[in-house]
Amino acid sequence: MILRTPVPKKRRPESVVEDLHSPVSDRRLVRYEEPGPITAVEPSDEMVCTYHCRQMVKSEFMAALNNAEKQVAEYQAKLELMNNELTQSEDERTKFRDSILSLEQKLEASKGREQALQERLLKEVDEFMERYKEQVKQCSELEVQLSKEVDSRKKAELSFTSAKERATDLEGRLQRLSDSAEREKNIIKEERQHLQDDSKLSARKMTADVCFLERMTLRAEISERESELLKKQLNGLRKQLDECLCEKNALEQKLATYPIPLQESTSSEDKNLVKYLQEQIRGYEAEVQEARKFKAFHTNSELLKEKLIEEKGRREKVEVELSKLQDVQLSAQKLELELVSWKSLLEELPDVSSLSDIPKKFAALQKEAIQNMMEVSELKAQLKQLEVALELGENKRQHYEKESCLEKQRANNAALEAKRLQMMLSSVTEERDRLKKEAAMLSKLKNSHESGPPNETLVKDLESSLADRENTIKELQTNLHEQQGVVNHLHDELKILSEQLSSEARRVKSLEREGDRLRAEISLLESKLGHGDYSAANTKVLRMVNTLAVDNETKHTIDSLREELKKTQSKLQAIEELKGQSDAANIIDDGIPEKLAQLKSQIATLEKREERYKAVFAEKISIFRRACCLLFGYKVRLNCRRCLSVPLGHEMSFVSFNRTIGFALNREDPFAANRVKDDEGAALDLATTRGLDPSLVLNDHPKNTCECCATMAEASELMDEAEAMEEPPSMMR
Amino acid sequence: MGSRTASKDIITLRGSAAIVCEFFGYAANSILYNRGIYPEESFVKVKKYGLPMLLTQDEGVKSFLAGLTSQLTEWMEAGKLQRVVLVIMSRTTMEVLERWNFSIQTDAEVVEKGLIKEKSDKEIMREIQAIMRQIASSITYLPCLDEPCVFDVLAYTDMDVAIPFSWIESDAKLIENPQMVKLHSFDTKIHKVDTLVSYKNDEQD
Repeated sequence: MILRTPVPKKRRPESVVEDLHSPVSDRRLVRYEEPGPITAVEPSDEMVCTYHCRQMVKSEFMAALNNAEKQVAEYQAKLELMNNELTQSEDERTKFRDSILSLEQKLEASKGREQALQERLLKEVDEFMERYKEQVKQCSELEVQLSKEVDSRKKAELSFTSAKERATDLEGRLQRLSDSAEREKNIIKEERQHLQDDSKLSARKMTADVCFLERMTLRAEISERESELLKKQLNGLRKQLDECLCEKNALEQKLATYPIPLQESTSSEDKNLVKYLQEQIRGYEAEVQEARKFKAFHTNSELLKEKLIEEKGRREKVEVELSKLQDVQLSAQKLELELVSWKSLLEELPDVSSLSDIPKKFAALQKEAIQNMMEVSELKAQLKQLEVALELGENKRQHYEKESCLEKQRANNAALEAKRLQMMLSSVTEERDRLKKEAAMLSKLKNSHESGPPNETLVKDLESSLADRENTIKELQTNLHEQQGVVNHLHDELKILSEQLSSEARRVKSLEREGDRLRAEISLLESKLGHGDYSAANTKVLRMVNTLAVDNETKHTIDSLREELKKTQSKLQAIEELKGQSDAANIIDDGIPEKLAQLKSQIATLEKREERYKAVFAEKISIFRRACCLLFGYKVRLNCRRCLSVPLGHEMSFVSFNRTIGFALNREDPFAANRVKDDEGAALDLATTRGLDPSLVLNDHPKNTCECCATMAEASELMDEAEAMEEPPSMMR
Repeated sequence: MGSRTASKDIITLRGSAAIVCEFFGYAANSILYNRGIYPEESFVKVKKYGLPMLLTQDEGVKSFLAGLTSQLTEWMEAGKLQRVVLVIMSRTTMEVLERWNFSIQTDAEVVEKGLIKEKSDKEIMREIQAIMRQIASSITYLPCLDEPCVFDVLAYTDMDVAIPFSWIESDAKLIENPQMVKLHSFDTKIHKVDTLVSYKNDEQD
């Protein structure tokens, strides 16, 4: 049976090559049924076959057919295989698509994460950069401070060395000055001794001079007296002479009047007398002259002796001083040199004008040196602190730099990963497109597998695509592994950061504990300060001598003594009046003075007791008043009365209760009446418990007051004290 | 009260010392009255710090406090005073029952350089007024002094202070296991005064 064959197509030159391999010859067949050729291709030659040819053709055709069928079967098998492969590939494609989608999702997620990471990294990088800049600034500032501190330290060291040198120089100078001062002191001591000796000598001289002067004065007095005596004698003699002369003249006148024989006898007597007197006068004059001469001689001799002694002493002194002169000259030269050196030193030293200023200046310099040393030590401490801070800053900077580098690397890695993922994605999309195209081609092949020859190149393409896909799968797997590694790395970093966070939290807790401890210490110190503790090295406690208690006590004793004195005086007056009355009544009792003395002593003791009781009672009653006022709202007015019916026979004080300001006590007021009754009842109770006559309590109470005789606890104490006062009284407060 | 101008409220070292010593005088009087060291009849009411303050009329106490405040002023102007303590003791046993502690912190720069500070007069008075109110209200929590008591004043000074004629060195007169109550403080910008009262724990008796 002849199969209908389609109209042969226009064969391309490529297909002609393929047709050459087909078993069918290049013979053109003519359809018997169709008289004319339909195709454009017309057979060139008219084929007229014999039966043999027909059979041959048929056999050939059948062979070809078989072959074709085989081929078809093969192709079908191959097609089935291909279909299977296609399904498989489709499955794989779907899988790959799913994987691609998942990868895309992951990629997007990773992109998002990457973006977040990038943003975070950028932020961190910015922060690190800012911190880095700040650290750099701080480092620069610290460096500047360090340089300044180093300069200041150098300056301080220089000043310290200069101060040290100055101090050593000053010490040396001071040493020298002290030595020279000691030498001068010794010299001055020696000179002082010399001067003392000189002064002693001069004192002795002075005493000798004084004695001499006294002697001389005595002698002068004596000589004066002698001279006065002599003068008086002389005057007497002159007077006598004058008298004699007058008598002589008178006698001569008389003689002139009297006769001649008588004149010769009288004139000879007178002449003898005159001669005698003249001789006496001459003798006296000679004596006076001798006395004067003697006196002068004596004075001269004494003076000469003294002069001799003086000269001897001067000579000795001069000899001694000559021996000392050289030493003094040497010492003077030394002193001059020292003075020059002192002056030069004083000129060199600033703010020094005299020797006394040098120790002060030295002390000031020592203080300055100590202060400089303290400043240097402080500067050193500050420098060390700055160095430590600088090291810490540098460490931090290095750490931050490392962290920033790491972060940069991470960012770069993340960018690279993103690029890689993008590239992967692009490759995967390309693969997908290729697979799509191949799928389309396969589908086309499927449709054309019956007539068309098998396509080995498609298989190869498919195989190559499969291989590529496998490669991409491997790459994706490696990328996945890498991303897992990155994720693990990030997890590790997170762990490290969490550990750092925990350590920082622990550090914060320790700092908080330290802060609490410091606060406790501060509170303890504040309590100690409040308690009054102080450092004995820095503080001393002073108090003013307090005489207030003593003054008060003395005042009290003085007042009490004055009162006792007044009372005793009044009692003495009364006793004296009584005495006077008794004297007036001529009653003489020998025992009265003794009795009076006894009574007086008793009175004195009783009065003392009374004063003591009053003082104590006054104190207690003031307290009682205040307590009553606070507690009950009553103002207590103290009235003293004598209570005769008290069994103990002691004076009692009654206490009256008055209302305080704010409300008036009125018996018409029911509340007031109740209160009054309550007060009266309380007072009665108190009175009865103390064994007092209640009638005295409620008698004579005024309208607006409620009186009660109350022996309060203080009064009972007073009674006890009174009983105790039967014995020797004790000191009351 | 101190050297200050009306417009600027400038305070000098001398003025600040005068303010603090005046405060101490009034505080001492208030404590003596409120704690009943002296009878209330011996006190007279005056107006000070915007409050009715009580001053003793006992000549002995007045002269004692006057001498005390003059010496404290001198020490404060020299920057040597660290603390003033008013001690209340039992007359019989001389046991310390209360310690009124006035701690003084001085600005050393002002003492050295003679600087001037500014603070409102009203502000200082307000601060002192608060302290005086607290002293008056301290009787609500301080234990009652049932026995006659005497008082003394201690001054904590620097070691280089020369002891005046009427002063002697003393111990700190501390209380064992005291109760402490911190009161307000006032500040003149030159001197800062912290007040604290420590008293014998009533439960110990």
